[in-house]
Amino acid sequence: MTTAERHGIGKYVAVYICLLVITALQFVIGYQNIQGTQLVVRMLTFAIIETLLVVLFFMNLGSEKPVFVKFVVYFMLFVLATMNYIWTDSFRLLLFRLTKVGPS
Amino acid sequence: MSEAHVTMGAHTAAPMEAPPFAIPSKKLAMWLFVMADVMTFAACVAAYAFTRNATPDWPRPFHSVTAVAVMTVIMLTSGLTMLIALGAAKAGDKAGAFRWMMITAVAGIIFTLLHIRDWMGMIDQGVGLLHNPWGTAAFGASFYAITGFSLLHISIGTIALIIVAIRYQGGRYNADDIEIVSIFWQFVGLVWLFIVPVVYLMNQTPAAR
Repeated sequence: MTTAERHGIGKYVAVYICLLVITALQFVIGYQNIQGTQLVVRMLTFAIIETLLVVLFFMNLGSEKPVFVKFVVYFMLFVLATMNYIWTDSFRLLLFRLTKVGPS
Repeated sequence: MSEAHVTMGAHTAAPMEAPPFAIPSKKLAMWLFVMADVMTFAACVAAYAFTRNATPDWPRPFHSVTAVAVMTVIMLTSGLTMLIALGAAKAGDKAGAFRWMMITAVAGIIFTLLHIRDWMGMIDQGVGLLHNPWGTAAFGASFYAITGFSLLHISIGTIALIIVAIRYQGGRYNADDIEIVSIFWQFVGLVWLFIVPVVYLMNQTPAAR
């Protein structure tokens, strides 16, 4: 590796190691006897941390102008948040399939 | 006629608003594409999560996730090699940038082959789009839809990497073009980091835990 290539790579290597560690933790959790909500919360928490690291450092969004960062983040968060309206219907369907009570 | 009109008529070019994002248009286009693609993937994952949550007999067929772990390490490492390529390109090291981009592309090819091998293993076990040996038929369709969409992105990304690397080597592209393909490559890697826990780790066979 040349000097030019090494320039500024240290930060990315640190983020890469963080990502490897977080991913390893996810696999450890995957092999533990954790079920249901606890499993989902732990997995998604680690996935969100990974997302922040990748978007801010690997995709270099952190070095863009703040107004552009807000543009990307606010729109994304709005879309991802509104997609959660599916859960009420998903649990209704689950309840029906388990108890055969209520609208199908 | 108002004073404002008279003033505007006297000057041929009206003062323009400063560009708010101040980034190159190609890069903005890639970010807009990534934002649209996030919505597509989010819709796929939301549909998967809806079905998974609403199905009591959802299969948990993954005994071992070693291959998935290897694929994840390859994907993460390719993200780093892509950044090394970008750093080299910005520093004017053309040969270094080309070399690291090709290393990234090779990682993409290995990932794709491992992914196809994973699919072949699932097909050998009898998992199809509309049937599987374990439970609800929706499992196969949702599994192939999400992983297939990711695989399609990674395949296209690998081809794009090779094309951009060759054109950069030939002098037709510059470091800005490498940065644009880098944004896409990091994005497909990020998507894989969501697919691993949602599709594989949460569906491991209880005995494997």
